[in-house]
Amino acid sequence: MNANSEQLGPPDLSHYAENRRKFPLDELAKHWGKHVAFSPDGTRIVASGSSLDEVLEQLQAAGIHFSQVVHAYIDPPDMSYI
Amino acid sequence: MGLMFPYTVVAAHHAVVPLGGRWSRPRPLVMVSATGPKNTFPMEGRLDTGSDDTVFPERLASIIGVDLSNAPVGHGRTASMALLIVRYAQITLRITDGVERREWPAWVGFTPAVHRPLLGFAGFLQFFTATFRGDREEVELTVNNFYPGT
Repeated sequence: MNANSEQLGPPDLSHYAENRRKFPLDELAKHWGKHVAFSPDGTRIVASGSSLDEVLEQLQAAGIHFSQVVHAYIDPPDMSYI
Repeated sequence: MGLMFPYTVVAAHHAVVPLGGRWSRPRPLVMVSATGPKNTFPMEGRLDTGSDDTVFPERLASIIGVDLSNAPVGHGRTASMALLIVRYAQITLRITDGVERREWPAWVGFTPAVHRPLLGFAGFLQFFTATFRGDREEVELTVNNFYPGT
């Protein structure tokens, strides 16, 4: 993965949904209310921040292009959407 | 058979009374890739049958290369009745459940009022038959006759 602006091919996301569902809830608890970037296979959080821009900065610093991860917002607990 | 998406379980701090006291809530989150003129951005979105439009965080527009300066503007209300401004553009959406992949052009809205995409009727659910199975906590999306993609 690289961090420059050239358009890359889509990452292999074939295992993302399966692994994302199994992602440990206690690990997710560290990121409540934050924007995160998951690895394409859904097994790791590779960046986390209070805003999307913060996540993008971390990805760039790590040399990871933003199109090669899956971005998500981790809901705070006890928040129901109605 | 269509694309199958098991719900994502979100932890709760306390027992959720209306769900019989379980300590979590299941939510229909789907990984969707939004592609514009410059880039593709994969992101978890929430299927929302109550949303008229499909809307994305406004920050996403510049990232994928969508110019909203002359975009059609609409007004919406959130579930809490807050008024928000939505600017519309046509992009390409792609979803996969790991087995099947679908990609189609869609008119979507951009607004600063959301943290994650809301996958509503226009641009998303209008192209699928969506079966929400509460007992199995999963949703199945099957393309319908209006589906314009591949």
